[in-house]
Amino acid sequence: MATHEEISASLQSFYEGYQKNNKLKLMNRDWNRIIIIRASDIDSQHTLTLQNGELSVTRGAPDQNADLVVTSDSETLADLFYGDITPTEPYMNGTLVIQGSENDILRLDFISLMIWGE
Amino acid sequence: MNLKLKKVLTMRTIVATSAGLTLSSSTFVAAVQVAGFLAGDAAWLAILTGGLLCTTAALCFGELNGMTPSAAGIRLYFSRAYNDRISLIVSMLYMVVVMGVIGAESYVLARVLNEVWPSVPALVWILAMFSIVTVLNVLGIKIAGGFQNVLTYGLVLSMLAFAFIALAKVNFQLTSPFASGGSIGLVNAVALGVFLFVGFEWVTPLAEEVTHHRMVSKGMLLAIGILSVTYALFTIAMTATTPRETLAGSPIPHLIFARSILSDAGVTWMVAITLAASITTFNAGLISVSRFVYSSAREHVLPPLLSKISMRFFTPWTAILAIFLIGLAISITVLITHQYLVMVNIAAAMESIIYALAGLAVIRLRGKMPEADRPFRIPGGYIIPGICTLVFTGLALAVFASFPIVLLYIALGLLICTWYVNVVVPELKRRYQIQKAAAKPPRRLMAQKKSKSD
Repeated sequence: MATHEEISASLQSFYEGYQKNNKLKLMNRDWNRIIIIRASDIDSQHTLTLQNGELSVTRGAPDQNADLVVTSDSETLADLFYGDITPTEPYMNGTLVIQGSENDILRLDFISLMIWGE
Repeated sequence: MNLKLKKVLTMRTIVATSAGLTLSSSTFVAAVQVAGFLAGDAAWLAILTGGLLCTTAALCFGELNGMTPSAAGIRLYFSRAYNDRISLIVSMLYMVVVMGVIGAESYVLARVLNEVWPSVPALVWILAMFSIVTVLNVLGIKIAGGFQNVLTYGLVLSMLAFAFIALAKVNFQLTSPFASGGSIGLVNAVALGVFLFVGFEWVTPLAEEVTHHRMVSKGMLLAIGILSVTYALFTIAMTATTPRETLAGSPIPHLIFARSILSDAGVTWMVAITLAASITTFNAGLISVSRFVYSSAREHVLPPLLSKISMRFFTPWTAILAIFLIGLAISITVLITHQYLVMVNIAAAMESIIYALAGLAVIRLRGKMPEADRPFRIPGGYIIPGICTLVFTGLALAVFASFPIVLLYIALGLLICTWYVNVVVPELKRRYQIQKAAAKPPRRLMAQKKSKSD
């Protein structure tokens, strides 16, 4: 079981990967979304906010409704945002549950692919 | 805790999507085949029975979908209920069959358009349709919920209007509603009648876009109810007003029927209906298969080339292009061989197998995961999933008995998929692991080590 701190660190790693990729920022400039990341086995919640191509990570829930809600166990979330596993495998075996529109889910997968590669 | 989503789908859109994905041009052909198995006016009996049986499958999908609301659909349900290998084999075979349905669909639509504009060859229509849908997919343009509502409800109303106009025109009296002409004919008619509802469960990926998972289950049941009544009336109207032998020998029975009822105006109206019916099925089929191909490539069960994304449109363009080429090849094969009915029968058998497996999956998961959260649980214990499993197994066997070639094709497809999953997939995964190990050490582990040393 990963800790809340580990998930925060993995999201920080994800954030840094995103910041290094200017092309990704440009591609997401019109994709403004609020994404909740929550662990199912520990009390841990984070919010990813994409606004005009800029990404920010905050602890806790947002003060408005989200576009996507990503739920999984803490281990999977930490591995996922460090890029050690692809989202597809836990998604296909049901460990990772995402609520939101199919296009948004696909976009999130694309972002992960562009940051971490295959 | 704030877990509300900004955008959620309404029940109206869920019903429209479920029914819209089911309504296709090939269903008109299948409806005539259903009537062909029966004497008298008993087609309605087979269609309503098919619809009723499909509700058992819809209930099973409702329970499975509630447990695991995911766009991965049967790939996930079967993986949990059986194992990953079986799930992959069945999902792959099913996707190939969906491509076959698209082949039959494009053939019927091309024949309809060719009938109206004979100077343009059917192949040109097929190429044009595939190209348009492929470009739309690459651009990431989806049919919006509101447009889907208009298309589906417009289609249903048009079919009902056609049926009532036709029945009024001949002053129709139901003289022999139960004269099926024998139980074998009725079983075959019901088996083929299931094809009329193929695709109602494709709405389950929308489970991620609703807040109450029961909505998807209710939506599927409502869609089946609406379709059952619409198909039954439309089929009775077709066979009551147009000679059966004329309809049965044609890939465009609905156009012949429309011409006999409303002359040229009827043809124009029916062409519009056919186009609308095909667009939704065609588009949804290509989206489903291309997303499956993309996610399979990301999962390393298909070559990594198929997971390439368009940097401009955020769409899996290599997967879409691959589906374009395969779909085109299937459509051209159907166009040359005229074997569209074989595709319809393969789809009916495959769909029956999927529904039987879904029923069995509910039973197995209740045993394997009794404590799992089930927002929707089928009432009556194992009765409905049991009926679903037994009946759809029987219907698949009935199709095989009537059309042995269908059994041959499905067995061949199963063998190829099994070989692929047992031989090629492990090799693809092995290569990925080697590549991954060489390319990057686990970042989390590195971070933990760094943190300790600091």
